[in-house]
Amino acid sequence: MNEITNDKRKCELALGALKFVMDPEIGLNVVDLGLIYQVDFDEDEKLVFCTHSLTTQFCPMGESINDGVTNALQQTFPDYKIETRITFDPPWNSKKISEEGREFLNG
Amino acid sequence: MFPGATNNGLAKNTSYKVVLPFYLYAGLAFLIATILLIFSTPAFLQHYFHPHTFAITHIMALGWGTMMILGASHQLVPVLIEGKLYSNFLAYLSFGFAAIGIPLLAIGFYQFDFGWPTQLGAILINGAIIFYLINIGASMIKSKNENVHAVFVFTGTLWLMITIIVGLFLVYNFTYNILSKDSLSYLPLHAHLGIVGWFLMVVIGVGSRLIPMFLISKYSNDKLLWWIYSLINIALICFIIIFLFFKTISLYFIPLIAIAAALIMFGYYCFKCYSERIRKKVDYQVKISLLSVCMMALPLIFLFIVIILLMFSVSNIHLVLSYGFCIFFGWITAIIFGMTFKTLPFIVWNKVYHQKAGLGKTPNPKELFNDKIFLIMGVAYLLGFILFVTGVLISNEPIIKTASILLLISAVLYNGNVWKAVTHKLSKS
Repeated sequence: MNEITNDKRKCELALGALKFVMDPEIGLNVVDLGLIYQVDFDEDEKLVFCTHSLTTQFCPMGESINDGVTNALQQTFPDYKIETRITFDPPWNSKKISEEGREFLNG
Repeated sequence: MFPGATNNGLAKNTSYKVVLPFYLYAGLAFLIATILLIFSTPAFLQHYFHPHTFAITHIMALGWGTMMILGASHQLVPVLIEGKLYSNFLAYLSFGFAAIGIPLLAIGFYQFDFGWPTQLGAILINGAIIFYLINIGASMIKSKNENVHAVFVFTGTLWLMITIIVGLFLVYNFTYNILSKDSLSYLPLHAHLGIVGWFLMVVIGVGSRLIPMFLISKYSNDKLLWWIYSLINIALICFIIIFLFFKTISLYFIPLIAIAAALIMFGYYCFKCYSERIRKKVDYQVKISLLSVCMMALPLIFLFIVIILLMFSVSNIHLVLSYGFCIFFGWITAIIFGMTFKTLPFIVWNKVYHQKAGLGKTPNPKELFNDKIFLIMGVAYLLGFILFVTGVLISNEPIIKTASILLLISAVLYNGNVWKAVTHKLSKS
C-alpha cells in the first residue's frame, strides 16, 4: 500500500471501495492506476479526507472520477463526511500504476 | 502532505445540451453530402467550378467539418484553457445561426442562384462564427491560462473568420461585382485560408492534446508545437502575399514547403506519443485518427504536382478535384470518425452515469456504441475513399458511383452509431 493514511485498517476498507471507481477512458480503477495519494480519518469531526490525482490535469472525466471517489467513500463510511481534494503535486505518472494495473494495460 | 491540493485541476464540463446538437447536425450533413455525391457523379468528371461540387464542398466544410469542430471545441476548449466556457447562450446562438445558414448557402450553390437566400445564408454563417469567436476569446481571457493548444484553436478561429468574410464577399461578388476580379479567381485564397488556417490549425491544436491523452502517453513537446504553429502561420501569410501581389507560380513552393515541414513535425509528434504510450492496446478510434494524420500527406502530394504542372501552364482538373476530395472526405472525415467515438461516448456517459460513479458497475463509454459497426464503417469509408480518388483521377463514372455508395454506407453506419450513443439510457438492472 503506497497511500498515506493515519488509519491503515480503515484506509484498506476505503481502498476496497475505491476499486469500484473507474477511470472510464482507461477502464481501470483509480486505486490500481495509483491516483489515490492519501486517505485520512478525523474521528472527532467524523471526516474522511481523500487526496487524489488525475492522469492528466483538467481531464474531461475528472468531475466524474471525483464524484465517484466521494460516492464510493460515502457508501462505505455513511456516518462520515467526505472531503476530496485533487492534487498534481506530485503529478501522476505511470510508475504509480500497480502490477495488476500494468498487466491490464499491457493485455 | 499535499499542500497544493485543491480542486483547481478539475475541468468544468460544458453541458451536453450545448454540444450534442452540433454532433447530430454534423452527422446529418455528412449523410446529405454522400447522398448528393451519388446524384452528382458526372460533376466529378468536369471542372471543379461546378454547382454540385461547390454545394457538396460547402456541406462538407461547413456542415460536417466546421459544425463538428464547433461542437467538440465547446466541450474541449474548457479542457484546453483549464477553465470553463464563457457562455452557453452564445454557443446556442452560434449553432442556430449556422444551422440555418449552411443549408441556405448549400442550396444556393446547388442551384447556382446567389440571390437573397444565399446571401442571407452567408451572413448567418458569419454571425455564427462571430458568436463562436467571442465565446472562445472571452473563455480564454477569463481563464488567463492559455497554452499552445488553446492558441492553436483561437488562431484557427481567427483564420476561419477571415475565410468566411472572404466567402461572404465572393457570394455578393457573383451578383454585384464588388471585387476587381470574378469570384472564381479568389477561390484558391478562400479555400486555403479555410483548409490550412481553420481545419489544419484546429485539428493539430486539438489533436496534439487529445492523441497523447487517449494513448496515455508520457510524451509532450510544446516547443515542437510552437514551431508547427509558427510554420503554418508563416505559410498562410506567405500564401496571401504571393496570391495577391505576385504572379510567379513557383513562389507557391514556399508556403507548400512550410506546411510540409509542419506536417512532418506533427507526424513526428504523433509517432513519439504512440511509441511512448502507457496503454499498449490501441482502439479503432485512435487508429483511424492516427491514419488521418498519415492521410494529410496525400493532398500535399497532389498540390505539389498541381503546382509543377501549373509552372508549365498545364492545368489538370482531375488532380485539383482529387486534392479537394482528399481534404474534405480524406483526413478531415477520418479524424472526425475517430474523434467522434472518443468524445461523444464520454459526453453521453457523463450525462447518464455522472451521479452513479463509484456506486456500482457502470458500462464503459466505449460500450455506448457498436464497435463492430464502427469497424464496418471504417472499412466502407476507406474503400470508398480510395475508389473515389481513383475514379476521379482516371475519369471513370462507374467507379465514382460505386465509391459514392460505399461512402453513403459509411455515413449511414456513422449516424446509426451516433444515434445509438446519444439515445443511451440508464439501464434499470
